[in-house]
Amino acid sequence: MANKLTKVLVANRGEIACRILRACSEAGIASVAIYASNDAKSLFVELADEAVQLSGDTIAQTYLDQQQILRIAAATGSDAIHPGFGFLSERADFAQAVGDAGIQWVGPSPDAITKMGDKMTARITMRNAGVPVIPGEEIEEVEEQAALIAIEDASHRVGYPLLLKASSGGGGKGMRAVHDPSELISSAQGARREAIAAFGDGRVYIERLLTGSKHVEIQILADRHGRTIHLGERECSVQRRHQKVFEEAPCATMTAQIRDAMGSAAVAAAQAVDYEGAGTVEFLLAPNGEFFFLEMNTRIQVEHPVTELVTGVDLVREQLRIAAGEPMSCGDLMIRGHSIEVRLYAEDAANNFLPAIGKLAVFSPPEGPGVRLDTGVREGDEVTPNYDPMLAKLIVWAPSRPEALQRMRRALDEFVVLGTTTNIRFLRELCDQSEVINGTTDTTTIDRLWPNGWSPNVSQSIQSAALLVASCAEVNGLQRRTSSNSNQVTSDGPVSPFTTLNRRFP
Amino acid sequence: MQNQFKSADGLVEVNISKQGDSWLYEGQSCQILNDGRLQVTTTDGSVHLARAAKVGDVWWVHLNGHTFKLERIEPGANASEEQGGLTAPMPGKVLEVMVSVGQEVSAGTTLMILEAMKMEHKIVASTDGTVTAINFNAGDQVEQGVTLLDLEE
Repeated sequence: MANKLTKVLVANRGEIACRILRACSEAGIASVAIYASNDAKSLFVELADEAVQLSGDTIAQTYLDQQQILRIAAATGSDAIHPGFGFLSERADFAQAVGDAGIQWVGPSPDAITKMGDKMTARITMRNAGVPVIPGEEIEEVEEQAALIAIEDASHRVGYPLLLKASSGGGGKGMRAVHDPSELISSAQGARREAIAAFGDGRVYIERLLTGSKHVEIQILADRHGRTIHLGERECSVQRRHQKVFEEAPCATMTAQIRDAMGSAAVAAAQAVDYEGAGTVEFLLAPNGEFFFLEMNTRIQVEHPVTELVTGVDLVREQLRIAAGEPMSCGDLMIRGHSIEVRLYAEDAANNFLPAIGKLAVFSPPEGPGVRLDTGVREGDEVTPNYDPMLAKLIVWAPSRPEALQRMRRALDEFVVLGTTTNIRFLRELCDQSEVINGTTDTTTIDRLWPNGWSPNVSQSIQSAALLVASCAEVNGLQRRTSSNSNQVTSDGPVSPFTTLNRRFP
Repeated sequence: MQNQFKSADGLVEVNISKQGDSWLYEGQSCQILNDGRLQVTTTDGSVHLARAAKVGDVWWVHLNGHTFKLERIEPGANASEEQGGLTAPMPGKVLEVMVSVGQEVSAGTTLMILEAMKMEHKIVASTDGTVTAINFNAGDQVEQGVTLLDLEE
């Protein structure tokens, strides 16, 4: 049963590749990174024991090229592939090909991915397991005109407001909320176009949009020794364009009764498909305590750290253990304290959240007790439009929810990123909103709080102080120091007064 | 000493003066610390530590949890003219052109759809007007700041 892992190829990039490569290093397992040419200088490449450059220019020719990745796995003698999230992580055909090549897939079986990845099959599976599902229909038509007619048709049965989402999607891509029938066709065209661009599959799923609900998800772990457990919930209601920005564990309004019911439903779902490894079952939790199955993600999730911090379980390490055929090492569920994660994006929150690019001239994360940073970038890196604009995940843990929020505010105030516009200030002001403080957020919170867009709340005196700082820095030639010695300025150790003085008045 | 900056709110003239080790402006003072950070005392007496870095002509300043982007206008240089056209907010790819030259559009009309970072962005008419030029076709790659279309009020 056990098939010890000796070398893991990480078929991903950026932050999650770093997370997995570090887990391999800690577990004493050799690691292989694969990277596109525009990632040659990325952090994850240097964290791997070996790194192999992918040929090709586009994402399809690099991180999505199954044959090329399998060839590299064979050439490097890798005995397992960890797909991370996104890219090939939920591609059953790839999981199958990996297994066929005699390589261990770090994740569930191709059959489980197929059943849960296809939203229609997942709904049927869940209904059979006794879990309530939201009214919705799969649009099977592939051809544009036929699909649009079918969507129009289904919209009458599903009812408004409704949600269109890519059948093989995730991450908010190919997703549109439709509040009025007049917007349906243009929204459907947009959703299909994004779905084709991102996943090569334009099929959409149409379902009722349940307003006022919380997005709550259950973390699952299952091993080959007959054990399937849940690790409690995460709440990820605070979303913008269906992209999560603020996640926490536990959910502020969760009761032991609902947690048990949701946890049992999630375990039943996993068992129904003979699930193996880490997975997440997502639910909508209505204000009256009713919950509905949304979807199951058959991979590690972006927001997995909040579960790790409150349960004390290293989920990625457990994934590796389970893939090696060992029993999972964690005991009974224990939830201790509170954890919050925010996602730092390179985006201009004050300008309709447009993605931003630039050089990370300064990247100085917060430190101190209870603060964790998962990132794939470091100071000096260029933020480019080639990949997802997520720069980092800032995660805090504290004994209670109010203390976790206080710690997050402190950590965000300490976080300095210069050279690229980020959403740090937006996240910081989010922490002061009464809905966030009271834990009453739902999936429409951001739209309701800032219906006409967000702009920073900054006092006149701080604005003029910033002008003074910039003038002072200019007049004293500080740019010469930052441009030629950016590492020196933020080095961890104390800066030598001699070199500093020399550079101060060159 | 005088500096001119362009921020989100427009052009600002900043006149700072020196007193001992401190620089003064509008009742606030600033000192440079040995590690390159700047210590600011604001009018209400509160003290903040700031970080500053210059990228190109832009001073990035982190102060009290806020990040400012202040473009320094070199003395003698003309402030850049406001563009009449609609510019690309990001480098990306033109997915679709929704209008044609000569077409009259009303404010809010989607003119073009751009893809950047795997997400779609709509280029929307800010005013009523007539499309006088379309500079790119579907499939074209565009750089940040290029004029995509011209709209005449």
